[in-house]
Amino acid sequence: MELLIELSQVIIDRRPRKRQRLGWDVWPENPMKLQDVDGYIISDFSLTTNRTEQWFCVLLVPARAPQQIGFLYPDSGIAIRRSCKPFRVPTNSTQRSLSLIPATRIRTIGTEVQKLTGASSILPPSPSLPLRVEVPFIYLFLYLSSLHSDPKQNLIRYKLFLSGGRLEVGFDKNGGNKRRYKNEERFVFVPNDPRSLMKLNVEFKNIKGHKFSKDGSKQALLNLTQDPEKGTGYIFEFDNFTDRNSCRDFVGRVLGKLQSVPGRPNEQSVPEKSAGAPLPEQLSAVEMERRIKLLREDSELLRLHKQFVLSGVLTESEFWATRKTLLGEDTTRMTKQRPGFKSAMLADVRPSADGRTNKVTFSLTPEIIQQIFAEKPAVHRAFLNLVPSKMSEKDFWTKYCRAEYLNRTRNAVVAGAEAAEDEELAVFLKHDDILANEARRKIRRVDPTLDMEADEGDDYIHLPDHGILRDAQKDTAETETEVSRRTLSQDLNRHAAVVLEGRALDVELGDTRTVAEALAWSKQELLSKEKSEENVNLEKQEKVARMTELEDLQAPRNPQYASLCIKDPREYFDSQQANALRALGGTEFGTNSLDLNLSKEEVYRHLKEQISEAKSRGLRNPIIRPDTALKVFSGLSQHLSSTRFQLGKNSQESALDRIPHRTKDDLMHHWTSIQELLRHFWSSYPITTAGLYNKVQRVKDAMGQIYQKLQEIKESSQSDFRHQVSLLVQPMLQALDAAFAHYDSEQQKRTAKSGAKPNGYVR
Amino acid sequence: MKLEVEGLTVYFPYESIYPEQVEYMRELKRALDAGGHALLEMPTGTGKTAALLSLIVSYSIHKSFKFKLLYCTRTVHEMEKTLAELRLLASHLPTPTSLLALGLSSRKNLCVNPHVLSAQSRDSVDAACRRLTASWVRSLAHDNPQVPTCPFFESYDRAASAGPDTLLLPPGVYTLGDLRSFGRSKGWCPYFLARQMIRYANVVVYSYQYLLDPKVATIISKEMQKECVVVFDEAHNIDNVCIEALSVSIRKQTLEGATRNLTQMSQEIERLKATDAGRLRAEYNRLVDGLAQRGNLAITDAWLGNPALPDDILKEAVPGNIRRAEHFLSVLRRLVQYLKSRLLTEKVETENPVNFCAAINSQAGIDQKMLKFCYDRLHSLMLTLEITNTDEFMHIQTVCDFATLVSTYARGFSIIIEPYDERMPTIPDPVLQLSCHDASLAIKPVFDRFQSVIITSGTLSPIDLYPRLLNFSPVISRSFTMSLTRDCICPMVLTRGSDQLPVSTKFDMRSDPGVVRNYGRLLLEMVAAVPDGIVCFFVSYSYMDGIVNSWNEMGILQDVMQHKLVFIETQDVVETTLALDNYRKACDCGRGAVFFSVARGKVAEGIDFDRHYGRLVIMFGVPFQYTLSRILLARLEYLRETFQIKEGDFLTFDALRQAAQCVGRVIRSKADYGMMIFADKRYSRHDKRSKLPGWILSHLHDAHLNLSTDMALHIAREFLRRMAQPYDKTGCGSKKTLLSEEDVMKMSEGAMDTY
Repeated sequence: MELLIELSQVIIDRRPRKRQRLGWDVWPENPMKLQDVDGYIISDFSLTTNRTEQWFCVLLVPARAPQQIGFLYPDSGIAIRRSCKPFRVPTNSTQRSLSLIPATRIRTIGTEVQKLTGASSILPPSPSLPLRVEVPFIYLFLYLSSLHSDPKQNLIRYKLFLSGGRLEVGFDKNGGNKRRYKNEERFVFVPNDPRSLMKLNVEFKNIKGHKFSKDGSKQALLNLTQDPEKGTGYIFEFDNFTDRNSCRDFVGRVLGKLQSVPGRPNEQSVPEKSAGAPLPEQLSAVEMERRIKLLREDSELLRLHKQFVLSGVLTESEFWATRKTLLGEDTTRMTKQRPGFKSAMLADVRPSADGRTNKVTFSLTPEIIQQIFAEKPAVHRAFLNLVPSKMSEKDFWTKYCRAEYLNRTRNAVVAGAEAAEDEELAVFLKHDDILANEARRKIRRVDPTLDMEADEGDDYIHLPDHGILRDAQKDTAETETEVSRRTLSQDLNRHAAVVLEGRALDVELGDTRTVAEALAWSKQELLSKEKSEENVNLEKQEKVARMTELEDLQAPRNPQYASLCIKDPREYFDSQQANALRALGGTEFGTNSLDLNLSKEEVYRHLKEQISEAKSRGLRNPIIRPDTALKVFSGLSQHLSSTRFQLGKNSQESALDRIPHRTKDDLMHHWTSIQELLRHFWSSYPITTAGLYNKVQRVKDAMGQIYQKLQEIKESSQSDFRHQVSLLVQPMLQALDAAFAHYDSEQQKRTAKSGAKPNGYVR
Repeated sequence: MKLEVEGLTVYFPYESIYPEQVEYMRELKRALDAGGHALLEMPTGTGKTAALLSLIVSYSIHKSFKFKLLYCTRTVHEMEKTLAELRLLASHLPTPTSLLALGLSSRKNLCVNPHVLSAQSRDSVDAACRRLTASWVRSLAHDNPQVPTCPFFESYDRAASAGPDTLLLPPGVYTLGDLRSFGRSKGWCPYFLARQMIRYANVVVYSYQYLLDPKVATIISKEMQKECVVVFDEAHNIDNVCIEALSVSIRKQTLEGATRNLTQMSQEIERLKATDAGRLRAEYNRLVDGLAQRGNLAITDAWLGNPALPDDILKEAVPGNIRRAEHFLSVLRRLVQYLKSRLLTEKVETENPVNFCAAINSQAGIDQKMLKFCYDRLHSLMLTLEITNTDEFMHIQTVCDFATLVSTYARGFSIIIEPYDERMPTIPDPVLQLSCHDASLAIKPVFDRFQSVIITSGTLSPIDLYPRLLNFSPVISRSFTMSLTRDCICPMVLTRGSDQLPVSTKFDMRSDPGVVRNYGRLLLEMVAAVPDGIVCFFVSYSYMDGIVNSWNEMGILQDVMQHKLVFIETQDVVETTLALDNYRKACDCGRGAVFFSVARGKVAEGIDFDRHYGRLVIMFGVPFQYTLSRILLARLEYLRETFQIKEGDFLTFDALRQAAQCVGRVIRSKADYGMMIFADKRYSRHDKRSKLPGWILSHLHDAHLNLSTDMALHIAREFLRRMAQPYDKTGCGSKKTLLSEEDVMKMSEGAMDTY
């Protein structure tokens, strides 16, 4: 939105005006928004690497597909970065450097993608309809975007758009391009490959607008926007401009017709795909990055993730559901970062004049308006009070610009006269009382080492008429008039203050009214958050103390230490325990020193005595003597820990350390896998939904595989270790057996309940 | 750490110490031992205040708190800084010491009564307080509970009346904020509590005026005993403060207000005659007895004191012809009328006080003795009339101040009547000024009364000038140099712009667009190269306004704002304070900022731009005083006659100390670093440059004396890169710049050996 306001001009300003940027001649701001024509296509694809040249690949698929992220791993064989030969892609955008992958590479990538999606079966909406991505129709754009690259982690993200096919807008179904199809209700997209599922059948009433690239630019694009705010819509690329133009003309006509009919019921009918699976959570790029980061940092987690998520045993969300704490930690630390204000003074609108007519032109954009609101609370208040009720927005801004113009020309007399006539105009010219109040409030929180205001009342020299009046250092104060001119320095200070406060609101620029309201709201919120006097005082004191300290005279402070990261917890804790025990030395365990040589009678007698004693005297308080209790307790705990340590140590020595490394690693790995699987298995009972049922099935299958492997290990191990290995494997097998048993019994119950008896079932 | 300075154990609040500080302490101790005054110049950024405080407090502990430290700062915010340092020191003192230190300021900064605080200015706060706490108001309230009083003062009074020596304030260090919160928690009035407690405090921190301005000093500081040690910190401007304390100016508005006041008072007298004639009679009798002041006034009734110095006030009975209230009023009326007639003059007149008094005597029939008693008589009358809204009676008070001063001093003053401002000859704005030229007048009682007066600052060069200006003989007068671990300051003199044309703020050059652009380019280049904060000083507000506006029109300001935020000092103190606060925020958050300020302005006076708050200061021009000012001319003439100081020398000295002061704000400790650019071709001349303090001169290389913008930029880049490297803090070998406790011990042992 741009607002042009013209005022009759007194002085001609001959500053040349820049060409205004218009319409759709730039690539959309965020390529992520380029959702593809069909729900089953990967819309976002990013590759990341860490320093060890390990590749991750993240595929984002649109919301309607059941899953959102797939991962490609090194062994899946994608390593694009080195081999792709960059060349320019036809685009109108000048800002981003693009590179396209040659067709052969596309084929391999395409098949990789297909392999991945097919294998993990996460992409097709239902198992019966496998997704096919026809390689020749894939346009693969690799964006080397500097915005997304993080130099610290050597992370480069690529984005991939896949699309292809043929668009039918008002043409007949036979593919002929010439004859008009009379249907003005909907447009259809038919992919060239009949097997593909990327069919599209959209009603025009869902389309809010259309944009197109200029004739003669490198691409013939047509963008049908569904929701201008979210940026969703369909982008079509045509082979030549004539096709695009005829299509565009038709669409424009239809849309014009539709929009001219007011009050048409706006049914939210989304084409047939909406009947698919329930919408999964939308994953933001940040969330994804965090997950990738976690995976990269923790090799164990990575292995588990690879093993289960990739093979489809667990879904992405199921996998992370049990690790919410890991993800959550980062969320609290990272607050959402908002862009601040630009340093440039936008609110200082400069009028432009064409020099021929007696007019000056002010142009206001939403950004400028927002800054004006933030910097001039009086204008903001006036807008909220006046605009819908008393005058139109256009009138308001015309008035504002009039006041600005008067201010700019420094025509104080005229300004005063006009302000006297027009009270709304006077609002803009007068002193801003809100600012004054705010200043008074803020001055109380100011750092006392800066507080020159406190000084004001402290020296009695500056009584009125005391001290030396007319001197170079004191300029005579300007007399305050009703219409006091704002000075440039005040504007500069105010602007800088607003910039520092930062952009407090998170609204789409555009509608002035909403911006104004959001600003008012955020200000109120700020006010309520202000701290009490006492806190302020404390804070001030700390500030002053910090300011006065001479750093280099201070003794060096302890450097901040990095937190300990334990690579192998088992080893660490074992050694710690050993150290602790060694420190205890050979102290005798309290349990050994008990005398056990009492006969039954003696014990009985002793008890009886005690009971009678208790009866006669009542119980002692406390019943147990604390020192004895402590002794027994410490003895016991020492005993326990030592036995555990001994056992662990023994087993380590006898079993794990003696068996070959390979077997040991395998066993450890299986153990963690089994733990993961069992956790999922048991947590999904009782089965209430079909999803859970599926999950249990999958988990059970995976467990079965591991069971097999364990058996193999047991059998394949050499004879001298067989015993130890079987000892180690035994608990795992038992745990699995228990799970299987539970599964079987549940299964039986289910079949019995449902009554759907399989063949040959006899009661 | 603890260290020994010539047998005195000094508690120092840091782990290490600079060698200069040890040296400084030694000199200071010698001055205290000798019981005389001292003049010490030590570069900024060497922890002057910390050294000073720790030595004097340790000395005072050594003498078991026999004397008080009166620490005078120029501003309230410097007071806060000093108290913060003191607090740090207090935490390093041996435990059983009961150090009581507090800051004192006006009611406006100390009051906690919300009704009183709602008033805007200082005077209205004072008046609002008096309305609630004056003794007659309180006695009225005693009979009639409807009369409002201040609950804080009442409960304070109850607590204080328990006994004169009740220690109401536990030992500790109290800033103004602490006093306020203490008062709020106890329900006591912090202002009167502080006034009461300065009698018992070991350290009192307050503003210069509380000692120098007789109007305030006679009330606040009269009880200080001789054994006090008085410190004037940042005292390079002390002569100006002294002069201002004894100067009065009268304008048309003042006289109109005074006429109004007189009418009001005469009405009041008529009313009193009708209702309570006894009170007027009682006053008359008191005046016959020769008591101009009404004996022991309640603490709340004390008002601004006599503007003349205590030694010069006559201890006689009030002359008979102004004893009666109505007679006195008619005298005042005549005086105001006479002054009005003098203001009607068309041309500038300069007169000395003797002639002026004679003229008053012949034309208005008021003799010198009556004039001398004007102030005391007015004070007495206002007390009798029980006037509480003192802020409205400011005008007549000013007239009486003038009368008393003009009749008391025959030398060192002059009366200047100007019909219009020199710079705006078309607008008639007559003003009659009584200006003091002799700085030694106001400070003389301080030197006479107190045993040791320490005057210290970062810029006291030439150090032999101050004893002459202030007319005293210091026992110690020393200028310290700074031992630097690395060259952490980089002064440069920029004489040419990027187009090799000279830059200057000389009167004929300053509005030249080429100079303005060259200055703008300089700032623009620096803004792009220097991280964090940059401070720019201009020679005056009007010049700053002009140049910033032209930069705005040229588009330079917009380019500057691409790199850093811009803040400007304005005449409005509140706005400037907020701008400074935001400036610091901008530097803290890494956005970086530029602060435009004025030499001789409020910011230049006392705000530090240390560390990242100021990596570069640019001084645009030489901050000469407005040389056409009559007052300045009269003062220069006086200086030449009395002290044989040449006009040109004094002007250069004054301009260069201001410039050095502005520039010296960037550095605070040896770990800090900063650049200073003197952007004017006149700085390259030896007579100007040599007036800079030694610690700047020693770093001003010959190669940096005649730079253009691009050369300066190159040097700045190189300097910043060098400063960013890690370095050894303690210095190496014989040239140690940071001493630990053992080092100091060794040093003193070595000194012992040589004896």
